[in-house]
Amino acid sequence: MDNLTNNIKRIMIIFLVVFFVLISYLAYFTLVKGPEIVTRPDNRRMWDIRNKVVRGTIYDRTGKELSVSEKKSGSGEYKRVYKGGAVTAHALGYYDPQYGITGLENLYDSYLSSNISASLLAWIGNGFKEVNKKGDDVYSTLDYQLQKTAYDALGSSKGSVVVLKVDTGEILAMVSKPSYDPNNLNKNWETLVKSKNVPLLNRSVSGLYPPGSTFKVVTAVSALENIEGIKNETFNDKGKLNLGGGYTLSNDHGEVLGKIKLETALVKSSNVFFGNLGIRLENDLYKTAQDFRFNKDIPSNGIIIDKSRFPKYKTHEKGNMAQSGIGQAEVLATPIQMALIAQTIANDGVMMKPTLVNKINDYKGNTIQSLKSSEVEQVTSAEYASEIRKYMREVVSKGTGTRAQVSGIQVCGKTGTAQHIESKTPHSWFIGFAPYKNPQIAIAVIVEEGGYGGVAAARISQKVMSRYFHK
Amino acid sequence: MTKKLRMFQFLIYVFLFFGFLNLGVLKKPFDPKAGIFFGVLVVIIALTTWILKRFYPMGDRIIFLLTMLLCSIGIIMLYRLNIKLATKQLAWLLLGILAFLFVVLFLKRGLAQFARLKYVFLAGTIMFMSLATFIGYEILGAKNWVKIGPVSFQPSEFGKIFLILYLASALSNVNTRKKLIEPGIVISISLGFMVIQRDLGTALIIFAVSVTMVYLATSKKLYVLVSLGLFASGGAASYAMFDHIKRRIMIWHNPWPYVYNESYQLVQSMYAIATGGLFGRGLGMGHPGYVAVNESDFIFSVICEEMGLLMGFAILILHFLLFYRSIRSAIHAENNFSKLLTAGLSVMIATQTLVIVGGVTGFIPLTGITLPFVSSGGTSLLISFLSLSIIQKVSEGED
Repeated sequence: MDNLTNNIKRIMIIFLVVFFVLISYLAYFTLVKGPEIVTRPDNRRMWDIRNKVVRGTIYDRTGKELSVSEKKSGSGEYKRVYKGGAVTAHALGYYDPQYGITGLENLYDSYLSSNISASLLAWIGNGFKEVNKKGDDVYSTLDYQLQKTAYDALGSSKGSVVVLKVDTGEILAMVSKPSYDPNNLNKNWETLVKSKNVPLLNRSVSGLYPPGSTFKVVTAVSALENIEGIKNETFNDKGKLNLGGGYTLSNDHGEVLGKIKLETALVKSSNVFFGNLGIRLENDLYKTAQDFRFNKDIPSNGIIIDKSRFPKYKTHEKGNMAQSGIGQAEVLATPIQMALIAQTIANDGVMMKPTLVNKINDYKGNTIQSLKSSEVEQVTSAEYASEIRKYMREVVSKGTGTRAQVSGIQVCGKTGTAQHIESKTPHSWFIGFAPYKNPQIAIAVIVEEGGYGGVAAARISQKVMSRYFHK
Repeated sequence: MTKKLRMFQFLIYVFLFFGFLNLGVLKKPFDPKAGIFFGVLVVIIALTTWILKRFYPMGDRIIFLLTMLLCSIGIIMLYRLNIKLATKQLAWLLLGILAFLFVVLFLKRGLAQFARLKYVFLAGTIMFMSLATFIGYEILGAKNWVKIGPVSFQPSEFGKIFLILYLASALSNVNTRKKLIEPGIVISISLGFMVIQRDLGTALIIFAVSVTMVYLATSKKLYVLVSLGLFASGGAASYAMFDHIKRRIMIWHNPWPYVYNESYQLVQSMYAIATGGLFGRGLGMGHPGYVAVNESDFIFSVICEEMGLLMGFAILILHFLLFYRSIRSAIHAENNFSKLLTAGLSVMIATQTLVIVGGVTGFIPLTGITLPFVSSGGTSLLISFLSLSIIQKVSEGED
């Protein structure tokens, strides 16, 4: 009988432990796993919660309405109306009970659908009357006119344009083509999902392209940082670089540039020179690419940026080393990554956190959050950045990028003609900033299968910059 | 002690008051029925406590109060879900308490005398365990309900009690291994019927209770290990044999690919708990409608959604305290039969809580059973109160 009593005590302890384990699991489930579970698109509860408020409006930086909730005629229900249409589709995203939430609508959902009327304090503060059920308004950094210019400039080409404010990282324009009309999702959904051009993809932040010669900016920075005296070193560009094993790297059109320095090499976009640098820099180039946040997450606000890639090659893989020096091999970059490279050079080597949101106002119009710009980090020294700026100015004034010139403004830039596996026609790239002194905006343009960078992409940059500087 | 008890009792009234006040104002302008519910519950608690104190000052009144708090949480939630259900539950609660008082007050002689009725319990066990196999009908995939006249009930609920009574009696004087053969066979038959009726939750409880009682009586860990081994191989065999068991395990392992099909119920339950967060969305502010069987098997999930994780903790802690107080009276019981019986019943209630709460949160594979004292359900409540009355009786030092 004493045995029995002792056994009962043991059982009690076992159950105490089991109860404790279950309570711990419940806490873990609700507090750690829960927040991620509730946002799953098939959770109808979230839609019920959202539907209780009139969703806030998304504005552009000038106060123009871009996405608003309007009352459907004849019923109390609200419908999201995208006044920006296809022009701002990717940047702002859509909000649809059937197809989910994307883009800014998704990332700022907690504000747009915030329900202050559920708060007891708000109720008391309002004299015990129900508070207006209206979500917060979001003021984006987009400049609709500039966005529209970029959208039109891309025409029927596939590709992307990203325009950043140099000193703050604000996203003034972010266009992805082909686009879609978020107002007619229901009608077009099947086609949108099935199209091989993936119109739903936001190419600006998720499209990964070989950056081609625009990457030479990074290689040049790496050379300045790691090879002493490279600025004044002379190199004989014979038009071909022997990579061993019968492989060679040549300049566009088989040009022979002769005795050149770093500056001329960038201005004339010498593949031989930068291929050679790629081999000489070995893993220093990998390090510089990482400094520019290749292979890394880029902190951002209102967008989610896919990681750009710069693989680490073994030093004996000369071909890949050389190719990576000119932004080929397996180097892949998003358009916003390339815009950030231009922005960093323009901003004395400091990369700014790209942001799509300026401020948030509550339903009464009071600003509840205004977002301050913040630095990602000092990527390279102001001195090197200033040196590269000089070269990039030359690219546009007399090098490969003359088509990007804007009257009265000293534009700086770098062209790129990127080979890729999908077709023989290369992607056309341009990255740049303006003006040369006190740069205000930075840009990246890619036209898929657009041919020479100095042509298609530079022309689009020209149109966008003209619009910005000569309104 | 009495003072603290009175404080506890008072706090239950406070809880009920605010609970029903909240329920009352949910309907504009005010729902007077909520006031009636509050009044009836307070009177029941006050009266029963008074009776217990009057006739058995030595008995454990904490057990009753803990139970009443659990019942209160359940009725408040049921009232919010469906007033009709809450009314029914209140009626069953009254009946349960009457049965409880009847056993406590009129079972004058000690419990030990019932140890003699081993074969009556044996017959009762087999009868109730098997009943639904022959005349049962299916609800929610398990064929474990029986309808006699206007009354439908789950015979296995009674079967569980008879099994525990039988085991307490058969194991109270085990001294040779031979004497374990008969209980072993009875346990196996009971488990077999539960598997046939697809009532896996009850099977799990029967197993836990039986293993615990055998261990208590014999002190042999070997038996526990052997049972676990048998259970594991039995489980593996049924996994191979039955599709519905395979499905349960699959859903438990990863519910997300089957959100709209097999795992719909579990996922909705997980959404409910996750949406509730620490403090809950507030009574009447959640969406219990999305959760299936929200008044019974999944009541824990909808309580967590509206009253928060903290209320979920409270339910588990209350159940543990109830288990602790019950098993404490088992320790103080004066004979083996009473000890085993009380321990068995306590383990039954506690395991049932663990199995259903673990199930609706995805901690263990989901099996449909009720949350004792909280879920709606007449048989379940009545059985729980009958178990409680025996525990109460033992706590009074019945001999």
